[in-house]
Amino acid sequence: MRERFANGFDPFVIPFLIGMAFVLGYCIVAMIRVYFQLPKPDRKRFLVSLVTPRTAWKNIKDIFLNCLIHVKLWKRNKVLGYMHSSIAFGWFMIIVLGHLEVMLFVPERIHLFYYPIFFNYFVAETEQTLPGSLLMFLMDFFLLIILSGIVLAIIKRFASRIVGMRRTTRLSLMDRVGLYSLWAIFPLRLLAESFTAHISGGSFLTIPANWIFRQFLGNDLHALPTWWAYSIALCVFMCVLPFTRYMHIPAEMLLIPMRNAGIKIRHPRKGFALLEVYSCPACGVCIDACPMGVRKANCKDATVYLNRQLRRGNERRIAEISDKCLLCGKCSAVCQVGVEGPELRVAQRERRKYALTPDYGMIDAASLSQHLSDLPFCGPETAPVEGSVLYFAGCMTHLTPAIRRATTSLLDKAGLSWKMMDPDGGLCCGRPLMMAGRSETAQELIKKNVEIIRASGCNTLLLSCPICYKVFKEEYPLQGIRVVHHSVFFQELIAAGKLQVQHEDGLRLVWHDPCELGRGCGIYEQPRQALSAAADLVEAGRHHAESICCGGSLGSLSLGFEQRRPMTQNALKDLTVADPDQIVTGCPLCLATFSRYADRPVHDIAEILDGRS
Amino acid sequence: MVNRQPVISIIGAGIAGLEAARQLSALGYKPVLIEKAPVVGGHVAEWNRLFPDMSPSEDLTGPLRAQTAGVRTLLNTEVASINRLKDEYNLILSDGSSLLCQAVLFATGFHLFDASKKEEYGYGIYDRVITNRDLEAWFNHKDDRRIDHPKAVGFVHCVGSRDVKAGNAQCSKVCCITAIKEAIEIKEEFPDAEVYCFYMDLRLFGKKYEDFYIKAQRDYGIHFIRGRVSEVGEAVDGRVVVKAEDTLNGKPIKVTLDLLVLMAGIVCNPDAQHYAREIGVAVDDDGFLKSRNNVDAITESSRPGVFFAGSCTGAKTVPETLAEARSAALAIHQYLNKPR
Repeated sequence: MRERFANGFDPFVIPFLIGMAFVLGYCIVAMIRVYFQLPKPDRKRFLVSLVTPRTAWKNIKDIFLNCLIHVKLWKRNKVLGYMHSSIAFGWFMIIVLGHLEVMLFVPERIHLFYYPIFFNYFVAETEQTLPGSLLMFLMDFFLLIILSGIVLAIIKRFASRIVGMRRTTRLSLMDRVGLYSLWAIFPLRLLAESFTAHISGGSFLTIPANWIFRQFLGNDLHALPTWWAYSIALCVFMCVLPFTRYMHIPAEMLLIPMRNAGIKIRHPRKGFALLEVYSCPACGVCIDACPMGVRKANCKDATVYLNRQLRRGNERRIAEISDKCLLCGKCSAVCQVGVEGPELRVAQRERRKYALTPDYGMIDAASLSQHLSDLPFCGPETAPVEGSVLYFAGCMTHLTPAIRRATTSLLDKAGLSWKMMDPDGGLCCGRPLMMAGRSETAQELIKKNVEIIRASGCNTLLLSCPICYKVFKEEYPLQGIRVVHHSVFFQELIAAGKLQVQHEDGLRLVWHDPCELGRGCGIYEQPRQALSAAADLVEAGRHHAESICCGGSLGSLSLGFEQRRPMTQNALKDLTVADPDQIVTGCPLCLATFSRYADRPVHDIAEILDGRS
Repeated sequence: MVNRQPVISIIGAGIAGLEAARQLSALGYKPVLIEKAPVVGGHVAEWNRLFPDMSPSEDLTGPLRAQTAGVRTLLNTEVASINRLKDEYNLILSDGSSLLCQAVLFATGFHLFDASKKEEYGYGIYDRVITNRDLEAWFNHKDDRRIDHPKAVGFVHCVGSRDVKAGNAQCSKVCCITAIKEAIEIKEEFPDAEVYCFYMDLRLFGKKYEDFYIKAQRDYGIHFIRGRVSEVGEAVDGRVVVKAEDTLNGKPIKVTLDLLVLMAGIVCNPDAQHYAREIGVAVDDDGFLKSRNNVDAITESSRPGVFFAGSCTGAKTVPETLAEARSAALAIHQYLNKPR
């Protein structure tokens, strides 16, 4: 092995160095900026998490598995998983192996940034030794892997259906420049290494290529221009990277540790929100997932486009996309990097200034509490005891009285002491306000409700509406009081033998996972177990975290009734693929929405259980 | 007259079908009435008294029945399917027979909106919530345990009418006056009862309707509250608690009632939509059959030989339905005598 150039330099490395300096400088400045945009407690929390061994190890593991191997994508779509991990991991390995070669053969050059990248140009004949030939082989092997990924990427761009995507993102101009330069990098590297393979050595890919080229190219004059082209392609890619979707590569490496530190969006445009926006790889998985995209409508309102508009600062479109969303959370569920579409949108809604702010301060919570205390308990006890249940029906259950009736009937059958928090209607749980981005106003309601709940003396708060359930569970300071959704509560009563449910053979039910209950609170199995006690359960086409929003969500501020109809019909079509006799859900809003268009009965889980106990 | 006696089939023997049959018979034709129910008379026969004269519905349906006694009437018979031939229609009936006819008259009428679809009003869930049809049945038979000397009665207008979320954007036209009529009848039956009408608009367009409205307020003391009912709950004693907004006062109100009557609206008979699609007759976006035009050809369809009478084309009052039936009979007569 020998170095070909005594000074170890050639002008063709300059474009690469420019690109490298630019992208490193940009990313470091951007990361520092994001860090200082975080509120002070979050900054401290982040630093602490970096030195905590458990989170530090998790950070390394997550970055390796998600950024390089793309484990989540593999689970979702093998072809896309292979495509992304081949490019990311292959490239990573080429960089690592390049450094290894430099360290092994020319350790005095390790301080030169470009040496590992252009090693084969500067150093010759390394395949004569065993480590040399092994490294050369690995270099060619990973190059081949990357090239196969690039081929898939090209196929995906022109025929996304082949790789299992119905729709893919429409790229912006900068994204195209980045994409084409990325496609160019590796074929150029192959060419450049092939042209110098008879001097510098190569392996199974570069040596045969070199032989073929030498058959009709008489000299080596094209070698240097190809190395130039390789360097320029790298330069172009790195120089446009901050302005393209490829910014997700560095951004995600910061996003993962910050998320592991438990940092949340606190500002609509700064800090963690900014980081999420830049972490979006614009893969477009959210376009197919979005329930608003039925019949090719609202495709431009998927999270990927929200992120793009946030980067561009197009306020009109940001407001439009943010207001339209159903907040069903499916885009987050399928997102490979974990961009929180609904949270980002709610943060944008918070920017809106309202002329009027309702004043809930005047609500007399003390008299409401007194009124509730005066209400007698139903069931064996007259005073609150351990296990007394306070049932909050909420506005939507009041509009679907069959659910309320079935729930109270089941409480009686289980022999529990219970009372209703809102027999004549109560205060709003605050969730609709929070969804509209008015969390400060919601806090007033939360304060009043907490006072009333505490005064009741009950230590179980039962909800039949997942919209209420989520906010009571997450936002209410109710230490010591168990907040529980009725599907979970009844499942436990059945498991404990306090509720006897008769199994009706031959009755086939499908469970619809409401967004707020499933993706929102992670409750998937308990309702299924409870329903299995009553009848045979079949699954929808898409279920659990992939369940399709009914279209009735309170989340959207701007979708009209007629625009929602195809979404509901699409969700119903998916729910009935296994041809169930009845559709069962655990959300009164889903129930009301589905009942409008369903061709078979739609019931709440409480109705099913009450009818068979 | 044509050489051969043409066959005219009339689908539905409600008042539209009966009146058309009567007129066609008088013109010398031999129409065939096809009725899926075991009796003729349709919805009107189930009603007790008719506005604005408060005449018993029997006064209308009795003579109609008598005067069409000679018409060939197929009771308990449904149309299974219709085929369109050249200038003729072939009706396959549920008894397996088929009927070849030169003209078809749709007198298929309406369906009452299923009030249980508006779950927030509690029909089918709460005992004391009934519909306008249930109340008319009670007026006829006085046999309904749900109605037991009520002290407070409410009427909810527009249940399933002018309600996009219920799938019906159109006005059902007759419920405003029906509610006032029924409110007065309830007040006559139970003079101590307080009666409330929850309305969003009162559309009292017909002859003497306004007088009815004034009489209801002045002579019967019925309370009219402008505002839609938001939800209905049930008190421990089984009475119903109605929450609404009084939009004239700008205040939410809550009343506890012994009886709540839902004025279920009028929607098109789904059978009629099915038949229409079979023979390529247009269905309008409100679900009713589509007339050739809505000004001077309401009884004519987009197909030659197919005619409409009554509420298959939209909500109608009784006099409107009768007038249309006569008009349709004349249109059929002209159609059959048109030189070809």
